[in-house]
Amino acid sequence: MRNTPTRASNLPMVLVGLCLASVAPLSAQQPAGAAGGVPRSADGHPDLSGTWDNGAGIDFVRPTKEGESVCIFGCAAGAPPPAAGPAPRQSSPQYRPEFAARVADLDKRQVQEDPVLRCVAPGVPRIGPPDKIVQRAGEAVFLYEDVSGSFFRIVPTDGRPHPTNNEPSFLGDAVGHWEGDTLVVETKNFNDQTWLTDNGAFHTADLRVVERVSRTADTLEWTATVHDPAVLAAPWELAKRVARPAGVEIVESPPCIDRSLEHMVDDSHHTNPR
Amino acid sequence: MARRFLPLLSLLGALALSTGVGAHHSVAGQFDQAKRTTITGTVSKVDWINPHVYIYVDVADERGAVTTWRLESLPTAMLRKAGLTSEMIKGGGQKVTAAALMARNGTPNLAWLLNLKYEDGHEYTLAGE
Repeated sequence: MRNTPTRASNLPMVLVGLCLASVAPLSAQQPAGAAGGVPRSADGHPDLSGTWDNGAGIDFVRPTKEGESVCIFGCAAGAPPPAAGPAPRQSSPQYRPEFAARVADLDKRQVQEDPVLRCVAPGVPRIGPPDKIVQRAGEAVFLYEDVSGSFFRIVPTDGRPHPTNNEPSFLGDAVGHWEGDTLVVETKNFNDQTWLTDNGAFHTADLRVVERVSRTADTLEWTATVHDPAVLAAPWELAKRVARPAGVEIVESPPCIDRSLEHMVDDSHHTNPR
Repeated sequence: MARRFLPLLSLLGALALSTGVGAHHSVAGQFDQAKRTTITGTVSKVDWINPHVYIYVDVADERGAVTTWRLESLPTAMLRKAGLTSEMIKGGGQKVTAAALMARNGTPNLAWLLNLKYEDGHEYTLAGE
């Protein structure tokens, strides 16, 4: 697969800025303590709003400091584990037999083919749990500070159907509804220019992803199920991810400009956790 | 600050298990763990970009000729979440000694940054060896 080099960083930042400006400071967003139970919005649904640290990718950092010195990796004492705990090992999507060779080939040539290595949006569910959620009656906005760029997803929860006039996109069209205390988000209308994993897991434009988002007093829980029956042998169920309130607010991602690939001397696999 | 560099392969292994380090990691295929170098100069520029920040260190030889090294490092958010800024990395123009791993393809003056130690004694350790 060769991907159109659409620059994810071109996505409008205005909406992101408005969303960030419309919510309380980070310290005021933190969930109530255990005694307070699950925070709820005025409509009675759990309030998923907050900035969330999922412990993987750029959230993996747990620096140690001594005076003005800082150690991120390679520290003598080792860094403490992420607040969210280690991310679970995920299974791999299972493909119909006729596509196994294609996946294996893409996996082997990941350095040449993986879209995110060229700063393309990672797609869903590869982008992982939201880094920030801004929820209000009738909609939730998922925000991401990603290595490939800053991304947002608007998730209507007022019962409207999927739009029918949007072009296929990297993050698709999301529509949500509440099942008890769980926000269920169905996303479709994707393009076919992202992968599901780091391992050559391509998909078609008929990809459909169902995410389930819920929370406890102090955690956000996220799961996803991937449906693409034209190429997958069965829906792919991701292991549950657990995020905790972040101590650092997200910001606009600086430009993503790859300068590494031209210096690669072999096909060493890149890991791109998120 | 007491420290030691953890082996690069151990780091990568740990990261693989924990879905850790760089949201975009290219160290193994680009830099040589067996070719460690140390340079001393001043940080002249920081490119605060993803997927990797680039730090430029100007190194003068005994005759005053300056060579600029490009040191590749972590994604911006990792440095930011550790409390580091581009200005902090520049160190106010003071002399800095950088430990780094050389590029495998022989590109001159390109390396993967392990550690920056400034003249006043403070240091930033960004990656294991």
